[in-house]
Amino acid sequence: MTTYIVRRLIQTAGLLVLLSILLFALVNLAPGGPLSGQGQSRHVDPTKVELLKRQFGLDKPLPTQYLIWLIGNDWMRVDKNGDGILDSYGTRQGILRGDFGFSFRSRQPVLTEIGQRLPNTIYLTVITMLVAVLIAIPIGIISAIRQYSTFDITVTTFSFAGQAIPEFWLGLILILIFYAWLKNPFTGEPLLPPGGMTSVNSIGFDLGDRIIHLILPVLTGALGWVAWYSRFLRSSMLDVIHQDYIRTARAKGLPNWKVLYKHALRNALVPLVTLLALDLPYIFGGAIFVEILFSWPGMGRLYYQAALDRDYPILLAVLIIGASFIILSNLLADIVYAYLDPRIRFE
Amino acid sequence: MYRSKLLSLVFVIVLIVTSLLGCQQKAPSPAAQDQKNITIVIPEDPPSFNPIITDTGYDALVMELVLLGLSDIDPQGNIFPELAAELPTVENGGVLYDESAGTMSVTWKMRQDVQWSDGTPVTADDVIFTYNAIVNPETGGWIPGIDYIDSIDKIDDHTFTINYNAIYPAYLTQFGGEQVAIWPAHYCDATQGFASWDCARKPLSDGPFVLSEWVSGDHMTFTRNEKYFEKGKPALDKITINIVPDQTVRKTMLINGDADLDMWTTEPIIADLKGNSNIEVNPSPTNRFVMRIFFNLAAKGTTDPVATPHPILSDVRVRQAIRAAIDVDTISKEFFLGYAQPDWTEFFRPPYTCANIPRPKFDLAAASALLDEAGWKDTDGDGVRECRGCKTAKEGYVMEMEFITYSEFGEPLELTQQFIAEQLGKLGMKLKLTVVEGSVLWAASTDGGIEQNGNFDMDIWDDGYSGVDPTAFIESYYSTAAATPDAGYNFMRWTNPDFENLLSSTYTLDEQLRKDAFCKMAAILDKELPELQLFTALNADAHSINLQNVQSSTNDVVTWNSADWVLK
Amino acid sequence: MNQQTSNHSTSIGAGVWKRFRKHPGAIFGFVIISILIILTVFAPLSPYDPEASEITARYHPPSWIHPMGTDALGRDLFTRALYGGRISLTVGLLVVIISVTIGIPTGALAGYYGGKLDGILMRITDAFLSLPSFLVLILLSAILREVEIPLFERNNVLTISLVIGVFAWTTFARLVRATFLTLRETDFVAASRALGGSDLRIMINHILPNSIGPIIVEATLEFGYAIIEESGLSFLGFGIQPPTPSWGNLLSNAQEHFTKYPWLAIFPGLMIFLSIISINYIGDGLRDAFDPYKVLEKVGEF
Repeated sequence: MTTYIVRRLIQTAGLLVLLSILLFALVNLAPGGPLSGQGQSRHVDPTKVELLKRQFGLDKPLPTQYLIWLIGNDWMRVDKNGDGILDSYGTRQGILRGDFGFSFRSRQPVLTEIGQRLPNTIYLTVITMLVAVLIAIPIGIISAIRQYSTFDITVTTFSFAGQAIPEFWLGLILILIFYAWLKNPFTGEPLLPPGGMTSVNSIGFDLGDRIIHLILPVLTGALGWVAWYSRFLRSSMLDVIHQDYIRTARAKGLPNWKVLYKHALRNALVPLVTLLALDLPYIFGGAIFVEILFSWPGMGRLYYQAALDRDYPILLAVLIIGASFIILSNLLADIVYAYLDPRIRFE
Repeated sequence: MYRSKLLSLVFVIVLIVTSLLGCQQKAPSPAAQDQKNITIVIPEDPPSFNPIITDTGYDALVMELVLLGLSDIDPQGNIFPELAAELPTVENGGVLYDESAGTMSVTWKMRQDVQWSDGTPVTADDVIFTYNAIVNPETGGWIPGIDYIDSIDKIDDHTFTINYNAIYPAYLTQFGGEQVAIWPAHYCDATQGFASWDCARKPLSDGPFVLSEWVSGDHMTFTRNEKYFEKGKPALDKITINIVPDQTVRKTMLINGDADLDMWTTEPIIADLKGNSNIEVNPSPTNRFVMRIFFNLAAKGTTDPVATPHPILSDVRVRQAIRAAIDVDTISKEFFLGYAQPDWTEFFRPPYTCANIPRPKFDLAAASALLDEAGWKDTDGDGVRECRGCKTAKEGYVMEMEFITYSEFGEPLELTQQFIAEQLGKLGMKLKLTVVEGSVLWAASTDGGIEQNGNFDMDIWDDGYSGVDPTAFIESYYSTAAATPDAGYNFMRWTNPDFENLLSSTYTLDEQLRKDAFCKMAAILDKELPELQLFTALNADAHSINLQNVQSSTNDVVTWNSADWVLK
Repeated sequence: MNQQTSNHSTSIGAGVWKRFRKHPGAIFGFVIISILIILTVFAPLSPYDPEASEITARYHPPSWIHPMGTDALGRDLFTRALYGGRISLTVGLLVVIISVTIGIPTGALAGYYGGKLDGILMRITDAFLSLPSFLVLILLSAILREVEIPLFERNNVLTISLVIGVFAWTTFARLVRATFLTLRETDFVAASRALGGSDLRIMINHILPNSIGPIIVEATLEFGYAIIEESGLSFLGFGIQPPTPSWGNLLSNAQEHFTKYPWLAIFPGLMIFLSIISINYIGDGLRDAFDPYKVLEKVGEF
């Protein structure tokens, strides 16, 4: 097991280096730069161009820029004021030491920007996933046991529908219904808030207020997941039910519920847990449409704004960290799988 | 055994979630019932409190809440002192100038009763510190006219003299207005550099409000500055700025009373709010942003109009035909819901209003005749004209161009773009449409910026200047120096020696001379048409009727007088 | 995985069709998508021009003359939705073609030859799978929107399809590789090799047909994903550029005033929804049809 993990980690590192080169090249071929991420602004003084390029280290050839981005330039002398003389040491530490540089737009360290957004995204996606799983598990089980029953057919139809609705459209329709059309019968105010994490004038931590703000985004985000997980569980449950050991258990005369609970469900959940681990990276990337539609200050919106502003340090950092998450969660999925399923042994 | 593992997994997840819920921001102290609190909604975070670095408007909005300049401008265009005790003029002896040597010096006297929110007085040292930070060659920035300053001499703690190496008529608002604030010397860390110092995100205040919280992407909270120098002001206790990306949601928040002020409300939203008795819209008395079409006089992808002239647009008759073929009234009525004002010159704003330029007529027949005369005819009957005897392209060259706009403005501009393309299409001019982000349209040439590289035929967007002096604006668009890539915004690559001379003649303190020069420049622009002005969009900020004294201004952002706002 | 060899393919095909017919959802999907395709093909028969504005008819609600109402420039939304359907469905089709064209040879080579080649090809596949694909799609389409290469001008159908396709082929590669890994050692492959069959011939004639079922199922689903991804990109402004309509960009401007003119948001969304649900049902029907085992087993005992 340990050797397996070590081998996988080495492969992972190689993959990440490859990806970082690819992404860095991609981002640097694109138009836009440190002077362009300025919203409505058209007035950029030309004399600042050179200055800023030097400040952001963009005057160097691309391979050098990549190296500086990767390992920093605090070990080499740089020309700070543009007089052609290498006068002082650089200040960049490189991403390997956790320095992702500065956002072109806010001039804040990229990690600070991500640090401000990531908790909000985790908060939303974890709850979304949890809600999705809690709804999907019973649905999946019942529709597998009662295959072709009215319940199964209804639920299956709904899950097909759930997977076919584009998230951004669903969000729009939900806002239309619950914010624009339906009113709270007691106060005459809209039934649910259209976005944000808390009410504007809320004071302190208010659980009710938070829940109210979660309903629409979680509903929008979870529908697709519910459909996906319940269909997945239904089919893996059906697979398990057909296995020989279930027939054996039943042949032994065990009651149906016991066979179901002790053998079938347990084994059907294993692939679901693996799937959950594989879906973990979405927690980092955030649900981009949900965050945009519901004014949720998370990673998805950070990335979208950065894409509009061509704020490349942010784009690069999100992609690289996102890719690392995916690779690590693949690894995690394999390990969890091994941990939960006694039939699997790694040599 | 297995079940307990699964349970523990779920348990850990629940634990993480609850702990996250717990560690969200802590509660501010409970507010008293009679507090005067308002909420402003804007679509995105300001990048910082320093609009000089990132001119998004949102930075100016928050800057005006917490920081003061030497002076500011009201909506009518009157300049009034902020940190200054009085405005230095030639008459009161504050300005000394030497017309023949082309130098001048301006002595500012500052108020003695203004303090930073930590109790330190605001002094001449702060002004000098700000100037030095801007001109730092390594980490500085740039403001209009900064190159005309030779030095600043400190006379005493509240008096200093700025020495200019030119006659600089816009000196009064150079360290004030919408863009420039005076920064605290004792608080900002000079070594971090002007462009990236921390005090631009956690500013010390000498304005009416103090920043108390900034949750990125969500909201900012400002509280009353108890040390603000104007007695009894501000009248509000708290201003919350909420970040709400969707404009429909912002509108509904305004209607529902969840928001009190929406910055830069667009025409369709203003139309929607009409008839809502709780909402008031006070547009600025003058407009600022002129929707305009830029013609690339050099061939697409090149920047030299002499060596590689544009095959279609370098003929002024083609540009005149385009002007005659655009139905500005319909665009204003339909897409801007009647709020757009037709405009056809750069010089339409007081005090430099030029009445000598007649409004061009919308006349399709005349447009068609102009194109025929210029040698563009549709001989093969496909609905698109070709060069048949034109002077600027090869015989048979098809009249097809790209027409770009930027996405941030939103739907009215995109509809305008499609409508103009269709109208010109009927005339036999085929336009391919593109919508790009401003970050790409206006990027530096080395970053692949479309305009700086001359990588366009025609594009349409809006611009205008803050304050009351158009010189820097005109210079950046029409001067020869600005026609080199990245040296300015003369994307048209238009040059004219007479215009150039008139431009330098405006560097004088003689107002009549300036007015005459500007109107002569207007005539040249009207004749040569490097750029086509169409109309001005409305400058308005919708707000609750309970929030009084809000006045939108073209000269500044709406928070310019936030100290005077009163909540009924 | 069904292990029949290729010479049974006609009977398999007949069986597949027979089973597919019995899947009510699949038939529903098939009918709906056929109607959509026929409508979009005959879109030019509409009396309205999809791009010509009609300033006097802006924002008309749905009526007999405009079944889906009109848009901000007074254009008939139904006509635009049909033309948009052409674009969206074409993107779906092109993405499938592109991803199959890259994915199948990659998977076949990796699975058949194994060893170093397999290692290299699978590392490349892993690299693509490791990227947060929609985020990269946003970046790529944002970059390509300013690029003017012949055929790929400014995010036209080809560009968008290529961008989406570049991230969609990995599924096919893995699927085909798995089949080839299992089948390359089987007796009939060894036999064909002994008879002097070239590698290419063996791959195409003997092994590939065995993975055709899963490939078709996967291709159907990919067709749907591609449509959703295109509409998502267009919704964010990075997809197909106006005035060319696509289902996604019809929706993107609708957001601004959907409380006032809800039909602008409802109908294009409905088109996407209907086509995706049909495609998913077809995919489901095909899966059952190709894999009869699941359908035939009944679990009535429980």
